[in-house]
Amino acid sequence: MHSNTRYMMNFKGTLPSLILQALANGPCHGYRIAQGIKARSKGVLDFKEGTLYPALHKLRNEGLVESYEEVEKGRARQYYRITKAGRAALAKDRAQWRELSRAVTTLLAEA
Amino acid sequence: MTSLERWLEQATRCLSAESAAQVRSEIREHHNAEREVAMNRGANGEEADRLAVAALGDAKAANRQYHKVLLTSAEAKMLRTGNREARAICSRTWLKWMLLAAPVVALAASSVLLTRDEIAFSRALALGGITMGVVFAGPFLPVYTTSRARVYRFAKWTLLAATFCLVFAANTPKHLWLLASCLWIPVWTEWTRVSIRRKLPVAEWPKQLYL
Repeated sequence: MHSNTRYMMNFKGTLPSLILQALANGPCHGYRIAQGIKARSKGVLDFKEGTLYPALHKLRNEGLVESYEEVEKGRARQYYRITKAGRAALAKDRAQWRELSRAVTTLLAEA
Repeated sequence: MTSLERWLEQATRCLSAESAAQVRSEIREHHNAEREVAMNRGANGEEADRLAVAALGDAKAANRQYHKVLLTSAEAKMLRTGNREARAICSRTWLKWMLLAAPVVALAASSVLLTRDEIAFSRALALGGITMGVVFAGPFLPVYTTSRARVYRFAKWTLLAATFCLVFAANTPKHLWLLASCLWIPVWTEWTRVSIRRKLPVAEWPKQLYL
């Protein structure tokens, strides 16, 4: 079993926010988003790519990201960029996460 | 068949042709990037392929996720063919006016029955006329925003349920089997439309999704 299984379980619901955060610094393609999240979390949040693209499609359907095609090294690649609505959703997610993590940290510290 | 093709076959099962093509393109793109990185780290072609496919994860789980966000073949078919009746009606003037006249005739019959003290029949016919009016006039109404669409759908389903209840009155529970057998097709269609609405951005909605 994967050593990060416990993190993976908790990570699932936060994937859309992590994608929005990855796109907040500029447009990216799917592979770079996945690698960026893995690298910035120092390998803790390593997820299977089969779940990344459905999450990207969902964000696009909700109007939180836009996609466009760009040629990189002679290959056409699908790039994603965050929209204004996406930035607003990210700010809301950040605030909620801060509140949640503060509450969980308080509870765990009490134990 | 390569392991990537097998993965794609499973991940795109029951998706519409367009959705499947989209998935194939993005996953191939991702697989190539992953493979390139593995080869740069010294893996041979076969090993790099294996690592790249392993990084994609479980194809069945991906298929389940894709089903939640991309159109399935059944949904795509409904989008293609679901508007046929409305288009047929709109393109034949006599049919359009006949369908629009039906609710008016029902309301006129209802008022005639009312003058003859047939209150129960008159009430049911009036409600039936209004329901028919709302349903038949749908394609011609200016329902182009999500809020108007919600109001329209709420009115349509409320009127439909009220008409059935009024027609069968106190016997409604007894005739539930009839209701179920009559309504399962519109309910199933509506259920599929709900799923399509969730998957398509509002900007891409055809008129039928608003109704």
